Amino acid sequence: MMQYARPKKPSTWQHFCILLRKDLRREFRTREMLTSMGLYALLVIIVFGAALALTARDIDIVSMGGGLIWVLIVFTSLLGLGRSFSYEKDQGCIEGVLLVPMDRSVIFLAKAVANMLFMLVVEVIAVPLFYFFFMTGSETSSTFLWIIAPLVLGTIGMAGIGTMLSTITMHTRAADVMLAVLFVPIIFPLLYACTTATTASILGSVAWMDYYVIPLVIAAGFDIIMLLVCWVLYDFVISS
Amino acid sequence: MSRTGGSAMARSKDKSVKLPDAGGWQDAIAVPAAIAGAILTTAGFLMAFLWAAPVNGAAVNGFEMIGDTVVTHQQLISQKIFYFHMPAAIVSFFSLAMAAFYGIRFLMTHEQRFDTCSRALMEIALLFVIMTMITGDLWTRFEWGVWWTWEPRLTTYLILMLIVIAYFVLRNAVDEPEKRATFASVVSIIALVDVPICFMVTRMIPSSVHPVVLREGGMSFDMGVTVLVVLIGMLCLGHALYRLRFRSLRLRERLEALKEILDERPMDNPFSGGLPAAVSPVAVHEARETGPKTVLRPNGEPRPNKGKIRSEYPTCLLR
Repeated sequence: MMQYARPKKPSTWQHFCILLRKDLRREFRTREMLTSMGLYALLVIIVFGAALALTARDIDIVSMGGGLIWVLIVFTSLLGLGRSFSYEKDQGCIEGVLLVPMDRSVIFLAKAVANMLFMLVVEVIAVPLFYFFFMTGSETSSTFLWIIAPLVLGTIGMAGIGTMLSTITMHTRAADVMLAVLFVPIIFPLLYACTTATTASILGSVAWMDYYVIPLVIAAGFDIIMLLVCWVLYDFVISS
Repeated sequence: MSRTGGSAMARSKDKSVKLPDAGGWQDAIAVPAAIAGAILTTAGFLMAFLWAAPVNGAAVNGFEMIGDTVVTHQQLISQKIFYFHMPAAIVSFFSLAMAAFYGIRFLMTHEQRFDTCSRALMEIALLFVIMTMITGDLWTRFEWGVWWTWEPRLTTYLILMLIVIAYFVLRNAVDEPEKRATFASVVSIIALVDVPICFMVTRMIPSSVHPVVLREGGMSFDMGVTVLVVLIGMLCLGHALYRLRFRSLRLRERLEALKEILDERPMDNPFSGGLPAAVSPVAVHEARETGPKTVLRPNGEPRPNKGKIRSEYPTCLLR
């Protein structure tokens, strides 16, 4: 009797890596998501340019900059998140993934990390572009680079909640509208906190730390709570 | 995993899960609760204007300093809004919490019944959220002089309202009952996570202008009693509305189940005389109006009706 060695059951970490690599490889080959999100971000900047064309000389663009950056990020990530599951559903990939005997929360983690990476790449392009178009003429504070922390925290939370919601909305009629209707109210506290922290670091007045640290703590707490809730509930959503 | 099973309606033979249903003592007290709620809320309305003293017992003609702020006569009257604003907000939070509770119960058991509860409670929550928004907006106008301000608590309450509305938009956008119930439960739980954030924001952001009544010196006895009367009245009203709504939803579900039986099992259908139900509209109409009068026993003889719709068909079909 030959004893065949049973292949070792892959660990959760390996599942995660494989799923993440699948998303990244697909993106690397098609460049669909990054081009569309990047172009969309540029278009939003152009719309800002038109909207502020007559007032930009009179108003202080520095004090509005934080808010406008977050408008840019929310709209761009809505576009990306809405598409993140559509191709999986269209090409039947999600059924294949669901057949694998594994903890289904891993699908959430892998997808959320992939979405977060795409959003971060787009932000790395879009935020300097925003600076280039609107803020080179005005004086920015020495604390400008501190905007990285709220950007990262906001992106983590938005990617997590957005992944969860786009899984829900991929089964609905008018998925894009549905995603926006759910996404914007649910991330609102995070958006509020991150905008405050971003504006504080761009303005960088004397007491800027007061308006920077508390919102960041709130944002981090919101991220942790929401990611845990989404992680627990994801199994039900993807399995239904 | 057992909870991932597709046919949620059929499984769960587990009798330890007690399913909420229409009827019973909750429905029996629904109408008295509605009457009590109406009386208590009206009494609270009269008490607020006739009995409860203005803030800190002040009587103001023109302007006066109370604490560190200038208070006008108009503000003392608009303060009466508070007696309805806060109870409505509490009832809305309470029904949201119950909706999320039934959402969790649904995810645990996959019983459609819990989703019906959750949905009915969410409708009550929407009603009270809108009442809170209207009274809050009146308050904002008269107390702060603007129709809307992006004050943290107003803002978070607005987004809470948007989430509740999104809940119903989502329900309408999903066709399969199983999926719809799961997604709705998940959104109701996420809405519940938003409620404490709403509640805490005024305490965490010190610049907030929203009054924190219980911390800043509390209420006098007459104010407290008035708030309590209105609160109990609104809780009664909320309960009554919830039970009536749940009852109507349940009866509709049962009716659908009955119709399905009439369509699927024409030979067993005592009204059709052996014809398919589709060619016997009179029988279908009669079933809708009165419920079945006789049912066949296993041996084929008709059995007299016991007067209860529910006992006549296998209960699993009526869920």
